[in-house]
Amino acid sequence: MDLQDVMSVAASGMKVQGTRLRLVAQNLANANSTGLAPGDDPYRRQTITFDNVLDREIGVELVEVARTGVDPSPFPLHYDPGHPAADPDGYVLKPNVNTLLEMADMREAQRSYEANLNTLALARSMIQRTLDLLR
Amino acid sequence: MPLPPSITQPALAAYTQAVKRGTESPGGDRQNAGPSFGDLLASTVNEAVDAQHKSESISIQAASGQSDLQDVVEAVNAAEISLQTVVSIRDRVISAYQEILRMPI
Repeated sequence: MDLQDVMSVAASGMKVQGTRLRLVAQNLANANSTGLAPGDDPYRRQTITFDNVLDREIGVELVEVARTGVDPSPFPLHYDPGHPAADPDGYVLKPNVNTLLEMADMREAQRSYEANLNTLALARSMIQRTLDLLR
Repeated sequence: MPLPPSITQPALAAYTQAVKRGTESPGGDRQNAGPSFGDLLASTVNEAVDAQHKSESISIQAASGQSDLQDVVEAVNAAEISLQTVVSIRDRVISAYQEILRMPI
């Protein structure tokens, strides 16, 4: 039934946005996680990519997480001579997390989740209204 | 006063014929009529029960952290809708049947 397939698709969209939000939370939580000793790498920002995948059983394109990767951009240098991970010049490598970018990503995940949630609720209410004709 | 056999014999014959028609002909027709309402109800009820089982097992998996909340919502929704469909169809057909029963003959 088409309207029940809608629920599967919307649920898959909600699932991947949940994974995306999890990565955003990790990035935000680790926005200040530096290394412990000089030369240690700090936290590297994680990225996520999505892919469409055909569900052969019901014949619809679901969405799933293609892979989670890392952002290869360079770490910014921060002058903090008292830090245990500071190099001889007094610079510490900070994570390449941009909190503003993460906030934008978070908001996009939220909106996308809501859109999928609305699709699911709509499909459900359409089925209910149709069933009400039998009452 | 006992009735003479000349009257009772044809009446008895007609009665047995009517009984025979009543028991035989609907059975003969039913074979051509496709699945009965009972078959329909049995298969849809089985479907609904399967959906309920699936939603329960996914809920248990979610409780132990092996399954997503979205899967639970999806499965419970599907189970609810299939159950509502069965119940609506049953109510509708039974009300039609009662309508027929109430029909003055």
